[in-house]
Amino acid sequence: MGTVHARSLDPLPMQGPELGVQADDLDLVEPDHEPQQEVLENKDVVVQHVHIDGLGRTKEDILTYEIADVFRAKNLIDVMKKSHDARQRLLRLGIFRQVEVVIDTAEGADAMPNGLDVTFEVKELRRMTGSYNTMVGNNEGSMVLGLKLPNIFGRAEKLTFQFSYGTKETSYGLSFFKPQPGHFERNFSVNIYKVTGQFPWSSLRETDRGISTEFSFPIWRTNHTLKWEGVWRELGCLARTASFAVREESGHSLKSSLSHAMVIDTRNSPILPKKGALLKINQELAGYTGGDASFLKEDFEIQLNKRLFWDSVLSASLWGGMLLAIGDKPTSICDRFYLGGPTSVRGFSMYSIGPQSEGDYLGGEAYWAGGLHLYTPLPFRPGRGGFGDLFRTHFFLNAGNLCNLNYGEGPRAHLSKLAECIRWSYGAGIVLRLGNIARLELNYCIPMGVQSGDRICDGVQFGAGIRFL
Amino acid sequence: DSLLGEVLVVELNTAEPWPENATLYQPLREDQILLSDCASSLAVQAYLRMCGLPVRVCCRANAEYMSPSGKVPFIHVGNQVVSELGPIVQFTKAKGHSLSDGLDDVQRAEMKAYMELVNNMLLTAELYIQWCDDTTSSEITRPRYSSPYSWPLNHILAYQKQWEVRRKMNAIGWAGKTLEQVYEDVSQCCQALSQRLGTQPYFFNKQPTELDALVFGHLFTILTTRLTSDELSEKIKSYSNLLSFCRRIEQTYFEEQDRDVKITIKEKL
Repeated sequence: MGTVHARSLDPLPMQGPELGVQADDLDLVEPDHEPQQEVLENKDVVVQHVHIDGLGRTKEDILTYEIADVFRAKNLIDVMKKSHDARQRLLRLGIFRQVEVVIDTAEGADAMPNGLDVTFEVKELRRMTGSYNTMVGNNEGSMVLGLKLPNIFGRAEKLTFQFSYGTKETSYGLSFFKPQPGHFERNFSVNIYKVTGQFPWSSLRETDRGISTEFSFPIWRTNHTLKWEGVWRELGCLARTASFAVREESGHSLKSSLSHAMVIDTRNSPILPKKGALLKINQELAGYTGGDASFLKEDFEIQLNKRLFWDSVLSASLWGGMLLAIGDKPTSICDRFYLGGPTSVRGFSMYSIGPQSEGDYLGGEAYWAGGLHLYTPLPFRPGRGGFGDLFRTHFFLNAGNLCNLNYGEGPRAHLSKLAECIRWSYGAGIVLRLGNIARLELNYCIPMGVQSGDRICDGVQFGAGIRFL
Repeated sequence: DSLLGEVLVVELNTAEPWPENATLYQPLREDQILLSDCASSLAVQAYLRMCGLPVRVCCRANAEYMSPSGKVPFIHVGNQVVSELGPIVQFTKAKGHSLSDGLDDVQRAEMKAYMELVNNMLLTAELYIQWCDDTTSSEITRPRYSSPYSWPLNHILAYQKQWEVRRKMNAIGWAGKTLEQVYEDVSQCCQALSQRLGTQPYFFNKQPTELDALVFGHLFTILTTRLTSDELSEKIKSYSNLLSFCRRIEQTYFEEQDRDVKITIKEKL
């Protein structure tokens, strides 16, 4: 029997968003069974050696965990399946450009008659990859330089650096990531960054300089992240015409916070999922590890998807959050929640719902938002099987509310405040999926329940982003 | 942008009268405010009292960053925000209140010249002593300036401000001066002011002008602030007419109006 090349088997369906970038909706395709293999199917084999060829700077000890399972295969089909799994595990480390599997009969002095040798032929990623872009926007140009150093010390550590130098602002970020050998889902990363943002809906300019460290680890089916973050925030007015309420928030503050996030994600894709659910709960406690800002912040995100008749999907989502100031200092405008816009309650202008002063939106300390969507393929299904599959039509119903907390009243009063004067909207539109990360929407929206002070965007609204209600 | 902006502000505001809730913002009085900022704030308060315009004083830790020009004090009148004495004088003039209407052109030019002298000499000397003298800077100025903030932001902001002031001193040629030379400059400035004042109650005889407010703000603050050494206030005390000038304005415009603005001798710098 000759050599069996188990090269690049078809990908298995995704178990969740952590595993690599694979197109979803592909069902498991069994490798072709050639006539000779059927004879061997039930024959007992023993995997004697597993080699990895092509290692340069990668240390072998982290790889032994990923390939250990191959030794336990009992028959040929098992060997092929387990080596395919091992290949996936090696690829998700993010240190190899290419992994090929070669299964051959065992050779050498101690070769057994039913022994097999499995060899992984790998090509490591280059030591450093760089990218350079120039961006031109509204009255401003910037150049962006990116550097990525994968696997710098040989155990799948990754160092990324991004620097953006513009006519108006400069920002940078440096990030170091290290997984635990053998348990890639347990990892920690350290980030240093400076980010500037301009928020015209609040006439606010914010510059954040910060350091953060985070640990991620899975527990049973959930994924947890613990993070400490220290940020020096600098707020300023974006224009001379900023309202006095925003002017009062100008200045410097230091936030040192501990946060914990729990994610359960059983969806088959983060963008336009067809089935599954998402639960994300996040809490942040600031002030007990130093700094000026002192608060407790809770927010959650729930999304449920169900496939209906004729390739359409019903999706329901609910977001909510609460910000409690600890001590007598009021909350800062950069910690509060905002509502409205093409990625939130559609039909309203970006973050233009809720408490405001002279046209500048100040955000709120408690909010909730819900959405009900029906996604269907484009009518008459143009471009089916190709480009047309990236588009979906959707019909939506969004609702939400935002308010500030006042300690004089009790929790019941706050709940009733959030329940009255609900803003809501309905409409339909087209969604375009961009890769596996982002989506574009073009909707026709009809906002309702508009309160005085809200700014609406009825009619056609365009939105682009990563996270949509 | 700033000069044009001031003119536009003035143009748009002639119609409205002075509101009851006009507010003046300055850094925290007890722990934070520095000598130079206190002098500027007192000058504006004195000017507004001389005009008979009521204003409330509000202390905020971030007053410097709230101000549109980055300098304190600033006033919030109606929905306008105006900072520093010069623009505030223009602003009140547009509303029909002015102290220098009675002056002729020669006197007005003289007044402007003396105000420039106070700003270039006294104010710069105050900034120099606060930030460029190492003893004062480390014992008094930096701890006070950074008092509202927590570690390490307090050190970052204090050193950033110190570096900025020292760079400005370099640019105007004061970096090479010694403390003695600065005291000497202050003394000469006071001599010029004392000569101009003479035996008159105010610089332009019977009625106070914005120059009186500015001089009062700086001299009174220096006299009532404890620094690392008393030399600065001693220089002023050697001119008796300046002393009685300060006392006169304090009695006329501050003591008889409300109690809580009474500024007593205490460690303010």
